[in-house]
Amino acid sequence: MRVDMHSISKSFGSNLVLRQVDFSVQGGEIHALLGENGAGKSTLMNILGGVIPRDNGEILLDDKPVVFTTPAESLHSGIAFIHQELNLVNDLTIYENLFLGRELKKRGSLLDTEAMIKQTQDVFDQMGLHLDPCMLVGDLDASYKQIVEISRAMIEHASIIIMDEPTTSLTETEIQRVFALMRSLQQQGVGIVFISHKLREVLEICSRYSVLRDGVLVANGPVTPELTTAQLAYHMVGHTVRAINLQRNERHEEVALRLDHLTDGLQFRDISLAVHCGEILGVTGLLGDGRSELFQSVFGFGAPYQGQVTLKGKPIHCHSTWDAIAHGIAYVPRNRKENGIIKDLDILENGSIVILKHLTRHGLINQKKELDTFSELVKELSIKLGRVTDSITSLSGGNQQKVVLAKWLASNPSVLILDNPTQGVDVGAKEEIYDIILKLAEHGVAVIVLSSEAQEIIRVCSRAVVMFHGAIMGEVTGEAMTEHAIMRLATGEEQGASS
Amino acid sequence: MSTRAEKQGIITWFRRNWAEHPLFSTAFALVVMILSQTLALGFDFPTFGRWLSTWCQNWINILRNNANIGVIALGMTFVIISGGIELAVGSTLVAIGAVVMVAIDTSGKGWFLSWGLTGVPAYFLAIILGLAVGFVLGELTGLLITKGKIPPFIATLGTMKICRSVTQQFMQGYNPVVPKGFLKIASTEIGGQMVMPIIYWLILAWILNLVAKHTAFGRHVYAVGSNERAAKLSGINVQRVKRLVYMLIGVLVAVSSILQVSRIGAMDYANAGSGYEMDAIAAVIVGGTSMSGGRGTIGGTVLGVLIIAVMNNLLNLLGVPPFLREAFKGIIVICAVLLQKKEKN
Repeated sequence: MRVDMHSISKSFGSNLVLRQVDFSVQGGEIHALLGENGAGKSTLMNILGGVIPRDNGEILLDDKPVVFTTPAESLHSGIAFIHQELNLVNDLTIYENLFLGRELKKRGSLLDTEAMIKQTQDVFDQMGLHLDPCMLVGDLDASYKQIVEISRAMIEHASIIIMDEPTTSLTETEIQRVFALMRSLQQQGVGIVFISHKLREVLEICSRYSVLRDGVLVANGPVTPELTTAQLAYHMVGHTVRAINLQRNERHEEVALRLDHLTDGLQFRDISLAVHCGEILGVTGLLGDGRSELFQSVFGFGAPYQGQVTLKGKPIHCHSTWDAIAHGIAYVPRNRKENGIIKDLDILENGSIVILKHLTRHGLINQKKELDTFSELVKELSIKLGRVTDSITSLSGGNQQKVVLAKWLASNPSVLILDNPTQGVDVGAKEEIYDIILKLAEHGVAVIVLSSEAQEIIRVCSRAVVMFHGAIMGEVTGEAMTEHAIMRLATGEEQGASS
Repeated sequence: MSTRAEKQGIITWFRRNWAEHPLFSTAFALVVMILSQTLALGFDFPTFGRWLSTWCQNWINILRNNANIGVIALGMTFVIISGGIELAVGSTLVAIGAVVMVAIDTSGKGWFLSWGLTGVPAYFLAIILGLAVGFVLGELTGLLITKGKIPPFIATLGTMKICRSVTQQFMQGYNPVVPKGFLKIASTEIGGQMVMPIIYWLILAWILNLVAKHTAFGRHVYAVGSNERAAKLSGINVQRVKRLVYMLIGVLVAVSSILQVSRIGAMDYANAGSGYEMDAIAAVIVGGTSMSGGRGTIGGTVLGVLIIAVMNNLLNLLGVPPFLREAFKGIIVICAVLLQKKEKN
């Protein structure tokens, strides 16, 4: 089977996310679809998978034009979409998952368990798998879950399978297991679209590649032995004009926070790094790099770790978030809605939650002191709000984020960890938050910025550590800190000199 | 013309308050209830003075009969705001009552009597003992929920069964005699009226309102109920807050239990306090507290207790059969939640 997508365009509101993109995949090939976050890969595949409609262009299935309005229609035509977040029910067995929603029945209403198990076994035999169809999906490791998803596509007789970053949460051996299956499917004439950030994997397994950047197809061609990851990374990032960077090189001699050989055994391993007072250190990587988990553990929120954390020369180990706060560490979490704001408290209450104990006299909150402390921060961070007793959710994303920032600045931290500080924040507020970060560093605060946006890191950080799969791949600083360099480290392509 | 404009003004004022103040609709419902109750009481009295004294007497009865539930509902407000639930209040009330009564029993088997302790020191010690038992039971519940990671509904369902059953087993055929002096705690009369339970209730309500609104603990309870993860990330010891909440309700149940013992001087271990958990929860919900946690007020709960109490009194005055009264309670709870401002997503 062969699928051709011709000059597909799609816009969300005034935002044009796909501009006349051509894309094709045929049976027996593994086609890599590459691009940075927001380049339009998922949108393109969602159109092919019938999840969202296209604005313009046409899709040809074996030269016949088709229109998919639902995922079911697309699946019926032989196109299966395996999403990054797997759609499996852990408490059901493998075969029950494979037939979920389309169970085989006998005599009208009874489940035909035997037939379902047999069909599952047939598909496993065909793919060369040794798996018991009656195993609980919850007992499988991540790679086998991925394989069960692929089997589901096979049982539906899919001839084209779209896989959205299937290897993100897998270990190296698990990745090889999935690759082996992909190769065997390829030999059986199945076409696979492989969306990935990991360029080395693309070179290893794919036969063709297409690169999207800002909704435009910028490069495509066969994967030849001459092709390098550097070329792919170059296509992905392109000739973007580098924004004026704000980074400064001054830092104090004193080391504020030092991590030595931190390991939690799962999300991060053997992490050693140091941040000086007055320095802005960036920590970046792609999904699954473990940076958030690492710093949540340091902050006493995440999994317990082994290794040594040293704060201003003094060894510490925070077992709880209030431990960390007492040590002068602040952590502004990612996902503001889930982790940052408390929606039933008003703006003032959100802003003073961290330092409430210091505002209390004789057991009662000193309301004047609470208001004064917060008002000062409102002015300092130029937070735009009506009354401080308004609901926190009445504020814009940028101002909400500033309130979250304010509640931490109120505690006068000596180490400030910012996890995706500009997530869901508009451009103007973004710049203001960068200014705040720089000002804090000028006052001697050690700032750690965790971000997956390389541009953001280059913008504010004087030094950046790049992580990949829970390990530090290298460090970039000064002129060497470019998107290309960061991307190559983040994709696990190149190991730089670790500090 | 001017009256029409005035009327318009009142309507807008009413609409704005209804929309903006979460307790406005609750207070309005209470006013409607009180008016209907007054009408139901009738005006068939020889003098205005007689009418007023009947009306007041009726009110004192309502308040006194509901002070027990009222005290428990105050604690339930904290529990529900923190995102939890406490189903065991009726059973722990019986258990605490039994311990207190055995302690001060004057029939010969009482603990304090056998130690030679009588009179005011014994009563005082009995109160301390009761509060301590409530505190410990609350702490145990809190530990089950925080350390044992059992959902509050299930943990307290368990303690509910345990407390009543164990109490009934141990108190079989044993009827402690409560000394007269102990009865003074709740039965002391002021101006010929037994108003002590009402006074305890209102003082506790005032204190707990202060705790909810003006202490770090109170603020933390709201934060934990609204967004536990964000609360923890803000340095709040979530487990400690939860444990304190269950300790608080434990102590308040103890207060309620002591009031009951000292009012009646006896306890029916099989039936006393049964249904209290649902009555307290109903009052809290009618008072505008969100079942999903994070929102609610002590003031609202006091109004909620009053609404249900006045409604019961009204049904009584109207001669509605007792079996039907529970149905009205159900309707009130459902209406209250329907009327409350729905959260926009």
